[in-house]
Amino acid sequence: MPKRMVTLIFPQTLVTEPVIYRLSRQFKIIPNVRRARVTEKAGEVMLELEGEEEELNRGIAYLNTLGIRVEPTQGKGH
Amino acid sequence: MAKVRGLKCRECGRPYPADPLHVCEFCFGPLEVDYDYDRLRGTLTRKAIESGPPSIWRYRALLPIEGDPAVGMHCGMTPLVKARNLARALGMREVYVKNDTVNHPSFSFKDRVVAVAITKALEFDFKVVACASTGNLANSVAAHAAEGGLQSFVFMPADLEQGKVIGTLIYSPTLVAVEGNYDEVNRLCSEIADKYRWAFVNINIRPYYAEGSKTFGYEIAEQLGWRTPQHIVVPAAGGSLVIKIWKGLKEFERLGLLSGPCAVRMHLAQAEGCGPIVTAIKENSEIIKPVKPKTIAKSLAIGNPADGYYAYKVVKGSGGHGEHASDDEIVEGMKLLASTEGIFAETAGGVTVAAAKRLIEQGRIPRDESLVLCITGNGLKTQEAVAPTLKVSLQIKPTLRSFDESMTSHGIEVTPRNLS
Repeated sequence: MPKRMVTLIFPQTLVTEPVIYRLSRQFKIIPNVRRARVTEKAGEVMLELEGEEEELNRGIAYLNTLGIRVEPTQGKGH
Repeated sequence: MAKVRGLKCRECGRPYPADPLHVCEFCFGPLEVDYDYDRLRGTLTRKAIESGPPSIWRYRALLPIEGDPAVGMHCGMTPLVKARNLARALGMREVYVKNDTVNHPSFSFKDRVVAVAITKALEFDFKVVACASTGNLANSVAAHAAEGGLQSFVFMPADLEQGKVIGTLIYSPTLVAVEGNYDEVNRLCSEIADKYRWAFVNINIRPYYAEGSKTFGYEIAEQLGWRTPQHIVVPAAGGSLVIKIWKGLKEFERLGLLSGPCAVRMHLAQAEGCGPIVTAIKENSEIIKPVKPKTIAKSLAIGNPADGYYAYKVVKGSGGHGEHASDDEIVEGMKLLASTEGIFAETAGGVTVAAAKRLIEQGRIPRDESLVLCITGNGLKTQEAVAPTLKVSLQIKPTLRSFDESMTSHGIEVTPRNLS
């Protein structure tokens, strides 16, 4: 199945929500967290998403509707 | 000379071979070149560097190439100008301009990174080079690919300045104008890089490419007499330049090449319409929040800076700060640099001058300390930014009388020469 390396950037209001859990429950997507950083103001999680293309697109669209930025990871540090 | 051990993840430290790789497969951290500094200590001396060519290649011992340089033989060693007039205008004692408006061959600091990247691409036996660009990188990749006999593809946002487009097309690359902003272009290029075996200089060759920026810092130190200034203001797009200038200066310190410690404060300059790293610095936030760019400084219009976090750490770690510049301040900055020092910089130069002005006024750069401004690209590439604000001074009929009348009506006073 296709895999994507992405960085999720959470606003402060969503840091306490189990967003990645919901993503895996609502869509056929396997998330694999590699690194994360959470501060008082925001959260940043780098993870691999595995699933069919259409499902990945739907899942990422769902995250966007919540107010989470989804960016491709290109060796981004934190 | 086995000076390069390989690549290493900046986050988890995992080692990798010196291949065209850029992301750690375990933690997704960026890879960077790992040098054997012990091997260089003692053999790399000031004298050895000074006897090298007047180009970036005088520092080749600290660059990640194995054989001889293949392109960019005249790149680097640009002037470090003692800017007395600008210093006076800014109310500073000592200001220098590191002037990469005259860098060779494409008139921006990008020639430094591309000369290294294309040499490395040839060492890796790539036949095609490519890049995602806000303009300057496109110019440089197309020029160096022509010199190196490589096929090139450059991907740019479709709304870039005409100077950047013409300055790329002349070298006969395949120029792909993408209907989107730089971050969208970059995202597309990541997908293309996965599909084709091309050397994308700022994607899969990035660890090598980025090392070329260290020469900007090496030159500042060497041209100042093997010392560092007290402050450097650096413009930022992806954030790599400030990191690599700092790395270069720390390497010089580590190798005993500096007179005294590396005690410089690194300051960052970004546009108000695209300043996510400076915003993070001001807010003390280690997480860089991406923005949608809206600024005349198109070469700095990267809303999701790949090296933003590390740029933040360098600035904070050195005791520096960051400032934004509005579009009006950018134009004023360009004009100030041109009218005081005769240097026509592109919009990024205006950002640097304007941000430095703010930092001086805030007291973050004390007026009696030394300052270097990093001027990274040539103003002839972004004439659209200042054209609407510039007018022909006098328009006259072709007669001496018309000239004299016009001078008088504009209040311009000159002394006629004494004919007696």
